[in-house]
Amino acid sequence: MSEQGPIRVMVVDDHPMWRDAVARDLAESGFEVVATAGDGDQAVRRAKAVGPDVLVLDLNLPLKPGVQVCKELVGHNPALRVLVLSASGEHADVLEAVKSGATGYLLKSASTEELLDAVRRTAVGDPVFTPGLAGLVLGEYRRLASDPAPAAGSGEPKAPQLTDRETEVLRLVAKGLSYKQIAERLVISHRTVQNHVQNTLGKLQLHNRVELVRYAIERGLDDE
Amino acid sequence: MAKREQVMRMSVEQPLWRALTAYRVLTMLYAVGLFATAYDEYDRPGIAIAYFAVLFVWTLATLPRVQNAVACTKRFLALDLTVALIGILLTPLVADDQHIHSGGPTLPSIWTAGSVLAFAIKGGWRWAAFASTPVAAANLIERGSPARDTVHNVILVWVASIAIGYVVEVARASERTLARALEIEAATRERERLARDIHDGVLQVLAMVQRRSVILGGEAAELGRMAGEQEVALRMLVSGGLVPVSRASEDAAQGALVRAVEAPEDDGPVDLRALLAPYAAARVSFAEPGAPVSLPAPAARELAAAVGAALDNVHRHAGEDARAWILIEDEPDEVVVTVRDDGPGIPEGRLAQAEGEGRLGVALSIRGRLRELGGSAELISVPGQGTEVELKVPKDPKTDREKDGKAERR
Repeated sequence: MSEQGPIRVMVVDDHPMWRDAVARDLAESGFEVVATAGDGDQAVRRAKAVGPDVLVLDLNLPLKPGVQVCKELVGHNPALRVLVLSASGEHADVLEAVKSGATGYLLKSASTEELLDAVRRTAVGDPVFTPGLAGLVLGEYRRLASDPAPAAGSGEPKAPQLTDRETEVLRLVAKGLSYKQIAERLVISHRTVQNHVQNTLGKLQLHNRVELVRYAIERGLDDE
Repeated sequence: MAKREQVMRMSVEQPLWRALTAYRVLTMLYAVGLFATAYDEYDRPGIAIAYFAVLFVWTLATLPRVQNAVACTKRFLALDLTVALIGILLTPLVADDQHIHSGGPTLPSIWTAGSVLAFAIKGGWRWAAFASTPVAAANLIERGSPARDTVHNVILVWVASIAIGYVVEVARASERTLARALEIEAATRERERLARDIHDGVLQVLAMVQRRSVILGGEAAELGRMAGEQEVALRMLVSGGLVPVSRASEDAAQGALVRAVEAPEDDGPVDLRALLAPYAAARVSFAEPGAPVSLPAPAARELAAAVGAALDNVHRHAGEDARAWILIEDEPDEVVVTVRDDGPGIPEGRLAQAEGEGRLGVALSIRGRLRELGGSAELISVPGQGTEVELKVPKDPKTDREKDGKAERR
């Protein structure tokens, strides 16, 4: 992240109308839009070439799904921040994108101010949650907890679990409270709330990576 | 169409034809073997040998004919049956009387059944009946009298071939049904995929209208608000298909029919999300776990009604512009639904006062609904952070944990 210069953003969306509107809004507010792309392949190529700080990504892309783009680019450069901007908010997709490294999610119906704020927060590594995403993440942790325990093998990763505090914070996010309100209610600092939210995503992403590696080793793909 | 054909051949037809091929070769060898072991029972072995030579060549030469239904032509079937009938009718001419009267085998013996089975596999039970009748007649002529064991054998061939023909017909019909169902399923999937793309495009436009109209203001703002409402409604519809359409399949003669039907009002488990999703609106956010939250239908309906009442209450007390959030949580033993608003909240003491004066109509009715389900309703109000109604319903009403619905005030 370049602390000095403007935040370098890349906008990926297959609808030119949206791509241009979002790029214009960002540029007008002092962000540097370094690239745009209209399909998945283009997005991967251009992002690797220009190396943006933040990727504003639509999940519904031609040629290569947005989730795959997110996986490849975060794998290529773990410092890249991904903000998912989706119109339909389809659950499986959004959860998959978040697990594979996206740290923010916003619906396209969000206002321009919300979008600018979200990009700013994503750039500094702050997770951007909608109440809907918080509900999904809570659900995902409960599903992981209720899955049968992994077979007795020392190498099996344990399903990630939320601490009581993290659950509490996530529930409040899902009920639409702002980080500030949560901090007030739980009498903790704003920074602590952010850390808790960040941890909930971090554990899911880590679990996802461990699962992927295990899968790769099982299938004999580890030499790739 | 090519796909359907393939499905059919894969599952029933192909094994049957393969079995028939093996049957014809093996029974031909068996017939020759029978003849060889009882060689001295034949008066004119020359004719018999000639017949077996023909049978041998015919069986091997026509192997490709019994590979599938297309190759197995009517002409082949007729010739094949003729070969069998000639063999049966030749038997009295080449074998001695002793052989005939003791019920000895005909020249082609059980090879004949292969010919009849070919009819059955090709055309079903009617063809099988048609083919086994002349065989029966020829057998009776060969024996010269309706002897008991001959009649027995004749009926056996007749019944067996008809039964196999019938089974082939049934199998074929059910395969057509299956193939049709698979086609419908594939078509539905494709249609849903296309619909998703279209919906996504429409959502983009609606969101765009909403976004731009806020900047334009005036009459456009109203348009934007309407676009926003539709955007939420459509998004709820697309995301995870929370509005299920009941479908029933019917077995029609030529294939499966799948049609949407009225869902019966039963007490089976329903997905709570489908009942609550319609409450989502531009100012009402809806968070759910991303997987079905099943509750018995009556409990789910009561819970949905309670959520509706809570939202009405939000509009009444916190104003039309108040925002609200619905959160569904699927705990291992209970379902928790929270409705929160960003209104001014209820000041400390007011709640108790209102309760004392009996003016807590909505809250009490919500609590009543939940208590009937063995659950509870809690009202939480934090000054400056709006009011929360937390509704809990146990998944198994029989575990009657004493849950009182005491309001919690903070």
